[in-house]
Amino acid sequence: MSCSGSGADPEAAPASAASAPGPAPPVSAPAALPSSTAAENKIPDAVTGYYLNRAGFEASDPRIIRLISLAAQKFISDIANDALQHCKMKGTASGSSRSKSKDRKYTLTMEDLTPALSEYGINVKKPHYFT
Amino acid sequence: MADAAATAGAGGSGTRSGSKQSTNPADNYHLARRRTLQVVVSSLLTEAGFESAEKASVETLTEMLQSYISEIGRSAKSYCEHTARTQPTLSDIVVTLVEMGFNVDTLPAYAKRSQRMVITAPPVTNQPVTPKALTAGQNRPHPPHIPSHFPEFPDPHTYIKTPTYREPVSDYQVLREKAASQRRDVERALTRFMAKTGETQSLFKDDVSTFPLIAARPFTIPYLTALLPSELEMQQMEETDSSEQDEQTDTENLALHISMEDSGAEKENTSVLQQNPSLSGSRNGEENIIDNPYLRPVKKPKIRRKNRHGILLCCPGWS
Repeated sequence: MSCSGSGADPEAAPASAASAPGPAPPVSAPAALPSSTAAENKIPDAVTGYYLNRAGFEASDPRIIRLISLAAQKFISDIANDALQHCKMKGTASGSSRSKSKDRKYTLTMEDLTPALSEYGINVKKPHYFT
Repeated sequence: MADAAATAGAGGSGTRSGSKQSTNPADNYHLARRRTLQVVVSSLLTEAGFESAEKASVETLTEMLQSYISEIGRSAKSYCEHTARTQPTLSDIVVTLVEMGFNVDTLPAYAKRSQRMVITAPPVTNQPVTPKALTAGQNRPHPPHIPSHFPEFPDPHTYIKTPTYREPVSDYQVLREKAASQRRDVERALTRFMAKTGETQSLFKDDVSTFPLIAARPFTIPYLTALLPSELEMQQMEETDSSEQDEQTDTENLALHISMEDSGAEKENTSVLQQNPSLSGSRNGEENIIDNPYLRPVKKPKIRRKNRHGILLCCPGWS
């Protein structure tokens, strides 16, 4: 995949992670830029900008910061959805009634989070107790 | 470690990590943003459908969020610099996301979907502003080495102190009036004091306290006070003696002293009168008028003394 050297290039065409050799489809991320307003993002621009600055990333366009915060949000929400699936699987697999018991209160525990994260390649090991 | 479950309410601050941490301003800087991320994580979990979450899992997700953002920034910067640029562009970020395994195609769909929950920004505290009525004077402008977003200097009266001195009154009339009134007050106070503390005589028969007069003390030897010089006169004689020794010769002094001890010749008067201008000038006028030999300043014989500071250490003939 190649990046053009000029400054503003909204029509960049990088390949996706599992792309075949050949012309890659145009990325749809620029379409996300005008639609994403500041009110949608949960993470404030200042907080994202603070962490980006700590990494050495100085953003010229505030829309870039919103894009990054949106990507980070989606990352977390994907993990949360996976953990919810795990939680629901554990609830219904044990044979409890589907009407009321486990439908209301889903609690995110480490037992649900760990397998959800392992699918992303993130392995967490928390100690059960502190000595 | 206790698996404490905490509710992930919308907009709630979620859990607190380590309530016994000591926070200095530098830590507060980081903690504030960390708490914001915790709020975000909590709201995302609520949106996903969780009612509550473990403290450890919220911490884990917060840490992941922070490191994810930092990693995107670092990687995007690296890609940007790899192509000899300094300003990251959109393509750098897209490449970064792809490299981190993020599916960018689903991003617009997610952006449209996540219009459900909005977190209000935390309240911004304003700088305390002194009201216009209380400000006094112009604030000093920032010197060039201080950036403009720093707070302003305080009012100059808080750190500048200018001692002021009142000019003493030099008007002749006012000074004369002041001197006269002070003198009158001092005399009156002194006489009253002596009347109150000493013996008094009264002019009126029945009313004793209204106009008290200081009782006269009859002396046994009335003329003694006329002969003896007062302390002040003796002190002035000391000073004039020491100044005379520099000006005149010893023989002249001796002749004068001998003539004073005779006490009565007329030629003394003229010689003493001629010597008068050399003495202290304040008594010249009086001595010219009152030509009383008993009121003239006494001329003592010249005695060599070590101490000439005006304190009378030994005096000839006085007991």
